[in-house]
Amino acid sequence: METNYETIVIGGGVVGSGIAYHLSERYKEGVLVLDKKYPMSGTSGSTQAWVWVHNKTPSWYAEFSMYSAELYPYLSKKIGDVEYKRTGGLSPFFNESDREKAEKLAESYRKIGIKIKVLSREEVLEKEPYMNPEVAGATYSSIDGNVNPFRLIDMYMRAAKRNGVRYSTYNKVTEIKKQDGKYSVVSDKGAFECKNLILAGGTWSREIGDMLGVKIPVNQLRGQILVSEPLKPFLNFTISGLRQANNGEVLMGYSMEEAGFNRATTLDVIQETANMAVQYVPGLRKAKIVRAFSGIRAMPEDGFPILGKVPGHENLYVAATHSGVTLSPLIGTLITELIMDGETSIPIDRYSLRRFG
Amino acid sequence: MKTDVLIIGGGPAGLSAAIETASRGLDVTIVDEASKLGGQLNQQTQALRPLPSVHEPMRGFELADKLIEQVKGFNVRPLLNHRVVGFYADGSAGITDEENVFPVKAKKIIVASGAAEKAVAFPKWTLPGIMTIGAAQTLINRDFVMPGREAVIVGSSDFAMETAIQLMDVGIRVKAIIEKQNGALAKEQEKVSELSRNGIPFYFNSFIREARGNGQVAQIDIELPDEVITLNVDLICMDGGRAPILDVFYQLGCSFGFQEELGGWVPQYSNTFQTDREDVFIAGNAAGISTQGPLLLTGMIAGISVSEELQAISPAEANEIRDAIWKELGLLECKEVYTGRVKHLENFTSPVLKDQFIS
Ligand SMILES: Cc1cc2nc3c(=O)[nH]c(=O)nc-3n(C[C@H](O)[C@H](O)[C@H](O)COP(=O)(O)OP(=O)(O)OC[C@H]3O[C@@H](n4cnc5c(N)ncnc54)[C@H](O)[C@@H]3O)c2cc1C
Repeated sequence: METNYETIVIGGGVVGSGIAYHLSERYKEGVLVLDKKYPMSGTSGSTQAWVWVHNKTPSWYAEFSMYSAELYPYLSKKIGDVEYKRTGGLSPFFNESDREKAEKLAESYRKIGIKIKVLSREEVLEKEPYMNPEVAGATYSSIDGNVNPFRLIDMYMRAAKRNGVRYSTYNKVTEIKKQDGKYSVVSDKGAFECKNLILAGGTWSREIGDMLGVKIPVNQLRGQILVSEPLKPFLNFTISGLRQANNGEVLMGYSMEEAGFNRATTLDVIQETANMAVQYVPGLRKAKIVRAFSGIRAMPEDGFPILGKVPGHENLYVAATHSGVTLSPLIGTLITELIMDGETSIPIDRYSLRRFG
Repeated sequence: MKTDVLIIGGGPAGLSAAIETASRGLDVTIVDEASKLGGQLNQQTQALRPLPSVHEPMRGFELADKLIEQVKGFNVRPLLNHRVVGFYADGSAGITDEENVFPVKAKKIIVASGAAEKAVAFPKWTLPGIMTIGAAQTLINRDFVMPGREAVIVGSSDFAMETAIQLMDVGIRVKAIIEKQNGALAKEQEKVSELSRNGIPFYFNSFIREARGNGQVAQIDIELPDEVITLNVDLICMDGGRAPILDVFYQLGCSFGFQEELGGWVPQYSNTFQTDREDVFIAGNAAGISTQGPLLLTGMIAGISVSEELQAISPAEANEIRDAIWKELGLLECKEVYTGRVKHLENFTSPVLKDQFIS
């Protein structure tokens, strides 16, 4: 296998593969993606995969997410059907007292051009007839949706490979050295050299950073998801808490717990999640649950994406974030601009690693 | 709910573990998804041999009744028609009655979840009328239902031969025994002879090429070494062997090793039948596919070890009993299986699969 590359991406998840694909649109040769397992074995294969804008706070982060959501229809045109659906998103509330909070959110979004409506009980039930009739209302945004993360990564990889990107899987990076202005990346299957190095190791970013003496403050946050048997299509929207996939399965859950790298599931969270789902959509009580799975979020210490150049290291880039599915097309675009043009079309200084000091 | 010992699976191994623990004063709960204790024994009409020395010779369902009767004399709580569906963060088992899920906190868990039959796939193998030998046996002996009139058997293990005889006994016509190897695999030669005497042909080096039928199986093509023949049948019983049922061990985070002689992937355990989750013990087919006699012994060892851990028996006494049972196991168990078991124990500290939830 070729050992010299212009650019190496460590991590082939939705973030790393998104970057590799977007880079390959600009130059056809010289990109290698390394993954210690396979590109869907990490967090990108154990996610709800909403492309979600609404109720992200503060509003500048919502705006950033919106730009990425806007790229999805175009992305599907370029790489193929990724089962992206702009369903619209509903965040229900069950107490009338929450309406005021919802109005405030809508107001702050209006200023940045994201339309959020606060729906009455009747409006919610008209849109989503299977919602619990005891709902008080919901915030609604038409830009939210969801995607099939497996198809997304598969299509990224196919398109990237067509453009000359190489993948080396089941190949863990164990050491990174800097010599003569180049990076030498030592992996299980040998050493590779490159000019540009992109760290997209998701929830493992901290240990990859350590190889270069760079602190990437990403923590682990487990989420457990329940999957129903395939049901006839009956949910129209991406509801904050659950969604129905194209094959009819309903994915439920949005739990958060600190459990390190342990991907086990626990009945405590499974039952809480089932209760939440039944509160939202009572009809789900009759659905059979066919499996539960856990994913480990890559959670930057302050909750916001870590993107861009690594301060003090030439040609070294990092992309580590929660909500990587939502942000992937934008991150891919911006990191490509940064490498090719030296600057980005949307400012990303706010997301620099520098902010952690 | 709280209990000293939670036994998952109420078959022969689970029941003998229950007797060992409960007879020493421990509070025992057995959970089983069936409506009756006894597991596979309930549909076994054949004489079981060899059995451990504490039992006189008897048939499968008789042994089930005997064990169930014994268990009744102790402090054992059976949860029938219940299933373990997962575990809580504090280690409690989550048990469902198919309506609700409730936690059971146990000091020790013995998993005796048994084995599942493997199917043999061929084109149209999902047609009704095509089933495993165990399913056919259950229909005949437990449910008193005729699974068909004209049958073939795929496979020639002892279990397959026994099932063929049972089919014959209830008046089902067995038209052929199809074996892909070049001879019968059964160790009990009398059964093979009995079938031959009854005029049932054995087709060696052969396999089913295709099944046909409208809504249920009606006809099959059998590929013999030098020709293809067609038979009209409404029942195909297939023996693809059995494999340990591992779900619960997986959820508990136990390690696994691969041991062909024990049925494939098997949880790792030590000679006390303790897994690498210190509060979890194993018994029965889950610890390696064997015959009923040896399975009872594995349940007894697990029961003794748990009794020792919970101080219902002294370590010295436990060791003595365990040694004796291991000796008997060595005598009773088919040599190949026993050797596989001993090899498996050696891998306890270096499992092939471990920490599967740690990413
Ligand atoms: C329960 C749950 C629900 C979620 N819901 C959503 C949602 O609705 N919307 C949304 O946008 N986001 C959601 N997320 C978050 C989203 O899934 C992640 O942000 C995203 O998948 C991260 O992508 P990634 O490529 O950074 O990580 P990963 O997919 O984990 O990719 C990192 C890759 O790096 C590789 N790697 C690590 N170390 C090394 C090494 N040393 N050498 C080689 N390779 C290495 C790994 O094998 C892995 O494939 C959710 C997450 C969870 C857990």
